[in-house]
Amino acid sequence: MSRVPLFGPSSRVPRALGPTALIIVAGGLFVVIWGQQYAGSVFVLSACYAIVTAGMAVQIGFSQQIAFSQSVFMGAGAYGVALLNTHFGWPVLVCTPVVMAGSGVAALLLGAVVTRASGLALAVATLMLPLIAVGYVTSAQYLGGAVGQSMPGTLWPGSSSAAVAVGGGLVVVAFLAVAVFVAARVLTSDIGLELFALGADERTAASMGIRTPRRKLELFVLGCVFASLGGAAYAGTQQFVPETLVDPTAELALLIMLFIGGRRSIIGAVIGALVIQYLQGASSWVSVNILVVEGVLLTVVLLVDPEGLAGILATTASWLRARAPIAFPARAAAGAGGVAAAAAVSAVTWVGAGVAGEAESDSPPPKRGDGAGDPTVAASSAGTTSALLTVAKVGKDYGGLTVLHDVSLTLPARGLFGLCGPNGAGKSTLLNVIGGSVPPSRGQVALRGADITRKPPHERFYLGVSRTFQAVHLIKGRTVLDNVAVSCLASHHSSIVTRIGRSRLAQARAEASRALDDLGLAGIKDREVSSLTLEAQRMVELARAMAPGPSLLLLDEPASGLSEDQRHRLAATLQQLGTRTCVLLVEHDLDLVAQVSERIFVLSEGRLVFDGDPATFRASPIVTSLLVGL
Amino acid sequence: MTDEAPQDHDSEDRPPDPVALKVAGLSVAYGNVTAVHDATFTVAEADACAITGPNGNGKSSILLGITGMVRRRGIVEVFGTPAPNGDVRWMARHGLTLVPERRQLYPDLSAWDNVILGCYSWTRSLGRARRSGSFGRALDLFPELQPHLRQAAGTLSGGQQQMVAIARGLASNPKILVVDEPCLGLAEAVARRVYDALARIHDDGTTLIVVEEAPKRALTLCNRRVEVRNGVAVAGVAA
Amino acid sequence: MKLGNLIIAGIVTGSIYATFAVCVSVWYRVSNILNLAVGDFAMVGALSVDNLYRVRGLPLPAAIACTLVVVAIFAWLYDMVVLRLAADGRGRAEGIVLTFFFTFALSFFIDGVAKMLFGTDVHAAPALWNGQAIAVANLHVDRAGILVLACAVLIGGMFWLYIRYTLGGKALEASGENAVGARIVGIDTRRYRRLIFVATAVIAAIFGIVESPITGYTYLSGATISLTGFIAAAYGGFRKPGRALIAGLSIGILEALLGGYVSAEYGDTVMYAILAALVLAWPRGLGFESAVSG
Repeated sequence: MSRVPLFGPSSRVPRALGPTALIIVAGGLFVVIWGQQYAGSVFVLSACYAIVTAGMAVQIGFSQQIAFSQSVFMGAGAYGVALLNTHFGWPVLVCTPVVMAGSGVAALLLGAVVTRASGLALAVATLMLPLIAVGYVTSAQYLGGAVGQSMPGTLWPGSSSAAVAVGGGLVVVAFLAVAVFVAARVLTSDIGLELFALGADERTAASMGIRTPRRKLELFVLGCVFASLGGAAYAGTQQFVPETLVDPTAELALLIMLFIGGRRSIIGAVIGALVIQYLQGASSWVSVNILVVEGVLLTVVLLVDPEGLAGILATTASWLRARAPIAFPARAAAGAGGVAAAAAVSAVTWVGAGVAGEAESDSPPPKRGDGAGDPTVAASSAGTTSALLTVAKVGKDYGGLTVLHDVSLTLPARGLFGLCGPNGAGKSTLLNVIGGSVPPSRGQVALRGADITRKPPHERFYLGVSRTFQAVHLIKGRTVLDNVAVSCLASHHSSIVTRIGRSRLAQARAEASRALDDLGLAGIKDREVSSLTLEAQRMVELARAMAPGPSLLLLDEPASGLSEDQRHRLAATLQQLGTRTCVLLVEHDLDLVAQVSERIFVLSEGRLVFDGDPATFRASPIVTSLLVGL
Repeated sequence: MTDEAPQDHDSEDRPPDPVALKVAGLSVAYGNVTAVHDATFTVAEADACAITGPNGNGKSSILLGITGMVRRRGIVEVFGTPAPNGDVRWMARHGLTLVPERRQLYPDLSAWDNVILGCYSWTRSLGRARRSGSFGRALDLFPELQPHLRQAAGTLSGGQQQMVAIARGLASNPKILVVDEPCLGLAEAVARRVYDALARIHDDGTTLIVVEEAPKRALTLCNRRVEVRNGVAVAGVAA
Repeated sequence: MKLGNLIIAGIVTGSIYATFAVCVSVWYRVSNILNLAVGDFAMVGALSVDNLYRVRGLPLPAAIACTLVVVAIFAWLYDMVVLRLAADGRGRAEGIVLTFFFTFALSFFIDGVAKMLFGTDVHAAPALWNGQAIAVANLHVDRAGILVLACAVLIGGMFWLYIRYTLGGKALEASGENAVGARIVGIDTRRYRRLIFVATAVIAAIFGIVESPITGYTYLSGATISLTGFIAAAYGGFRKPGRALIAGLSIGILEALLGGYVSAEYGDTVMYAILAALVLAWPRGLGFESAVSG
């Protein structure tokens, strides 16, 4: 594996130890040498903010969960420490973990409510937090009202001001190092890949088994706890908590620090905090006109590189590296021209031998469907007659419009089945009901006899249901291997906390590699997904859906956009898949469907109007009029 | 005197330029992936040319490069005038109108509004557009759309949307109409109807370029053919 | 009657929020950028007119004209230089960076310039229509409030006519619904983006000039107004100007009622809590998109 740079967005994920060591060493030295002077105190102050922005880099920058809650929790941390220290006399170093724990609980409660929303709804809901908080704080006398709260204690209890300043500074550097380490570990673990997928497209992430509600809550809590640590450090070193710490402008300032530094980079978050704090004290002209300076700086930096200063540094680093190849090994080449890639994919051959043996392979990864026993064993012993999927009288209404009327069908453990119908007949809706992203208004969906009607997509995933979508939803900026590995993470029982210790990423990548080999895609494993042709991308999606060994595979128009040759290849692939799992195929291409399916369902205006084998299908008058007429 | 899209009056002074579209050395690349290599062919006026070839081999990219939807290298000339690179709007104003893949209609505007916006390429006046012959002809092309004209375009069926898209193309009074995959996702009977309409447009003297993956239908209409494989274009007569 | 007066005051501020929300929404459809600097343009309009008229002694019409021209030119330049590079240039910014942060930086910039030029005190443009509040059957309306409403109705009406009855207006709608489809018929979506941005800036400045006599502005007032405009547009779903209008009016009325009946201090806090609860309870009903693409 080639070396990865320290800071950088998207596919170049930072390793944890590098930046942590850098901070400990550089920060420590800085504090020791300049700790008592102005430069040192500004550094310590920025380090407090950097703790907060590091968490924001993970939450907002990396996972796209825009929440405006950090300034409130920074304030909570600061005020908490100030109050405990002033009224109970506890040393600051004792107050800090107490306050962090309290913030964690508060964040958990608040997050449980707030993270039910997504995207812009989440942003607007959390936007209210600073607005509400500042109203409360300015009028709360016990918090010092509009002035603020002062406190006697300091982070480093000591007699001389030198010891206090330097000691406190070193403690803050230690806090920052821990924060950076944790953040970087999260990003480099398998959870990091999940978070990236979550940020790219929440819906696809859920259908690949990522527990999106839980991850969003974990991210929210992480951001808030980091913020409270930063606030505690702030109180401990400044000894005064101003009311402006919970202002909406404080939140905006944090956002500016994050985005100038580099939203997707931990080191960038630190750089951003440093830059802004130093600017504020740089000269009296700058400090008076800080708004203009920040506005211009943010605009210029984002114009040069949307990934901020970290992005600029990363680009410079790789530019330098390209000119000094001896020092650093180059990354795997991006690949030859599109023509060659097309040729590579046209040579896709189905490795038939590998298929039959797959079910009984050695060292099996944690098998899905453990709720009802090993599906492959059940299928081979009971044959293809026992029903895998039962859809019973499913109906779906959207407002006054009924999209599905009383649809019932059953599917066995293996085989290939087609689902057709004119546009608007309800095929996608039915697929969404089976896949779990849409709850039916009536009726039941059962898998191996167990009712799964109300189960969300990620739980169905773990019961063995896997699907693809009409539009290709691969994660841009990651390799084919990583994209397929997302579905192999098997992390439904783990939390961000446990993953900091042990990451399953390597194992997931190994499973992904096997799945890609099975489909003959070994040659494109390290290619970045947006450089692939449409056919290759669809095959990668198929590999991703197949990699965890599903019992039921739902395919939504896999042939869409493919040429005749490519469809022939797809048909061969599908037929092989049908021998080892149950595949339900939604398609417009009737020739393809009739060719590969053993049974075909036809939906029209929400009703199942045909259920039979391909020969009957071709001869049926209902079908010909429906699908060929206007 | 009826309001009409401005026509070329040079035809009265000299014989019309027989070459409607000239493509020379056209290359299209996305990053370091070259999709089209040095495509060269011409389309004569009043021709109907089919561009065929498997998906992923450069057929769509040639079209995107010609019409200006993506940047290209090489020369593209419309009736002798060189076209600037990557400028779809220039094309629309100079007589080459694209009916794009997947229609690209305005879903919340009515079908009528969608069609009349085709006239934007030659006028800014709603009144002139409404009274023009081009708009009238565009609506006449698909009488089955009449009852649906006030409906939001996004609520129409796939076939109806394709008809609206072609009508919008015709409303711009093009000299060259380029249609990209007109029958994607359409049932057989609807596809036939669409091709009937295209044949009518061609019979009225418009030069037609149709991009089709399945050549059977296109070749019933077209007299010329450009086959694209692996990014290389081979011009020929339709079989 | 207290309730009536509160509602009227609410409608006045609500109409400002509504107009700004519609501007944000219309521009978002065309450019995919959220204009977070709307309120700052309003503030600059008010403070410039005050400065030119009161400090430098220009006659009022000249002060207003000068301000509007400068605002228009600045907005035009900003789009030509910054937004063109950001949205159309080679190193294109995308996703939340483009959607929020450029206008966010612009907002800071404008506030800073205003502080430089006009200081930190509270100012207001001079009242354009002098006199007592007009009383109609126990209801009092500030004359400035009537002007605000008149502006809102006039501008709104003109915009509606433009959209419905001109080809250019339909082209604007088309640009907002499908940028690719618009280019194909020759519509210059970038020009519409620039046009709407400049129009938003000028409209915001006009409202600032007209409304500031009621409340008075400082260089920081712009941020709060931008925020409320943004929230109103959010509750309209960002892409539906009609709903943004209703949302703006409702928020204005809600704010006035809470300020009058709950308390002047806590009224805003309660309102934000209510708004947050609404978003969490019915995100889809309020038209929020389910995910932000990055």
